[in-house]
Order: sequence, then C-alpha cells, then structure tokens
Amino acid sequence: MMDIVDKIKGIEGAKVTVQRENRIFVDVSEDKVISTLYNMKLIGFHQLSVQNVIDRIKDNKFEIFYVLYSREYKINAIVRTWIDRENPVIKTADKIYPSAHTWEREISEMFGIKVDGNEDSGKPFILENWKDLPPMRKDFDSVKYSSEHFVFRHSEGENE
Amino acid sequence: MEKMTEEQVKSIANMLRKRSLWMIHYCTGCGAMELPPTMTSRYDMERFGLAPYVTSRQADILLITGYLNVKTLRRVITVYEQMLDPKYVIGFGSCTLNGGVYWDSYAVIKQLDRYIPADLYIAGCMPRPEAVISAFRHLMELIDSGKADGYKRYKRNLAYYKENQRKVLG
Repeated sequence: MMDIVDKIKGIEGAKVTVQRENRIFVDVSEDKVISTLYNMKLIGFHQLSVQNVIDRIKDNKFEIFYVLYSREYKINAIVRTWIDRENPVIKTADKIYPSAHTWEREISEMFGIKVDGNEDSGKPFILENWKDLPPMRKDFDSVKYSSEHFVFRHSEGENE
Repeated sequence: MEKMTEEQVKSIANMLRKRSLWMIHYCTGCGAMELPPTMTSRYDMERFGLAPYVTSRQADILLITGYLNVKTLRRVITVYEQMLDPKYVIGFGSCTLNGGVYWDSYAVIKQLDRYIPADLYIAGCMPRPEAVISAFRHLMELIDSGKADGYKRYKRNLAYYKENQRKVLG
C-alpha cells in the first residue's frame, strides 16, 4: 500500500491524503487533472468507477471527482478538483478512460458543465424538453418547478 | 326461442371477459418485486383466470407500478394506445396516485389519471400481493357491472387527455 502512495506522491502537483486502508484522496488543481489521471493509469489504476460532481455552493465551486480502482492492488483512489461555478468548463478524460465519455454527458446535462473535447456533451441525454436550470444544481428549486409543471391532487375522483 | 337483447349479450360478454384477463405490467419504478409472488405459486393469480402477458396488443390490463416520470409517461401512452378495446388500467402504489414520496421531484408526474384514464388505484407504498389480488377481484366486479369504462372515457374525453399529455411532453 505505502509504495503505491509514494508513487502517487511523485505525481506533480498532487496532494495525497490516505483516509483509511485502501482509500486514497488525490487533490489536484484544475489544469493538472488530465495529466494526473494519465499518470494514475500508468501506476495501475485501470478502472474509472465513477466520475461525478458535487455542488459546493457555499464555496461557489463545483467539486469534480474521479473514483479510480486498481484490481491489482485492490485500492480505491479518488482524484478531486475544484472549479468555479460561473461558466464551468472541464477537459474530457475519455482518451484515458473511455467510460468517462458517458459520465461527462450526464455531468454536462445535470450540472450544466461544458466538457471540452467531448462532442456529445451538449446533447440531450436523460431529460426531455428541458428548458430550466440544470436540475442537480443546489440553487435549482425542485418544489417550485414541480408545482409549476405537474398538477398536485387536491380532491378525490378524476379531474374531468 | 326468443332473440337476446343487446343488454343481455353485453352482460354475457362481460361475465366471460372478467374470467380471462391478461395483464401487461409496465414496471417503471419500484414495485415490480411484488408481482413475482402474485403470479407464482405463493399467491397464484392464475386461479382467477389472470395471466401475465408480454405484448401490449394481446393484453387486457395495463398495470403501472411505481413512479412515472416524463420519459416513461411517453412510453406508457404508446403502450396504452397499442392495446385493443376493452382495456383496463390499474395504478399500483401511491406514486401513480399523487406522486408519493417523489411529490417534489422535477421529473415525476403526480397523477396518472390526467394522462390516461385509470380504472382502479391500489394505494400504499408498497401494496402487498394480497392488495394486488384484491384489486383484481374488484376490477372483475367493475367489469361485470359494466363500470370499468376507462377506454370509453378515453375516447369521449380525448381532447382533455391529449391536452394534458401535450402540456407535459411538449
């Protein structure tokens, strides 16, 4: 385990925290994400389990994380980065991990984050006819949207 | 021998109809788990003449389980319109009734009967197989007395249903 941590610490710009056994956090700056992911794959993390976003609205940031797994060492490594909430843009990782292509389509639809280099990122993926704020942002008011678009049942019987 | 009146023919047809119902279950959300014990030897719905079926063209009952969202509603309407008359709709669980625990979701439509006519609802989260069987028995009574007329209401109020569908689906 420790020799893997030492290897990851050798990556330029990576701040490594060992949370517990078999779980490592790797915090990097925005511009170092792709190179870090490339180096992680060289070390032996061949699988991208999850790529997703957390909306840190209090810090005015989006947290983007990549959960990587190594079957060889049985270790989860989580690569994290933070970007601004205004005009958010990330670079695609689908040249390194092909499954990132689909994760990025979901991210771009659910959070409104533009993905550079992923030609499918702007296309509709799950939602149909969506014209409002992206629904997974914290400032999106789900109750208000729901009460505007779908009628709540107030009385018994069919509304004919 | 006297000729039978139209009323008598209808009542005989209804009596036979209720004994042989084929069901297509559209399991959009949760709740599909309650159906295997209902169908198989534990509760055995075939003793009432009910059988699960795979295609919409040959089914009589459309059982919709769990929450419905904008994406799945479009498919439900397609399935419903493919079915042949007479057809009956059962909403299963509180999500089809009033949204259930997903009442504030951005995607879940809250009332099934605004978009297609529902003959019967099974309330609860989740309804047990006993409740499903009880609903089928109640539907049989409704068919026998001629009160299960959802497919007629759909034709009569088509403008109302289509307007509601268009509002949500665009």
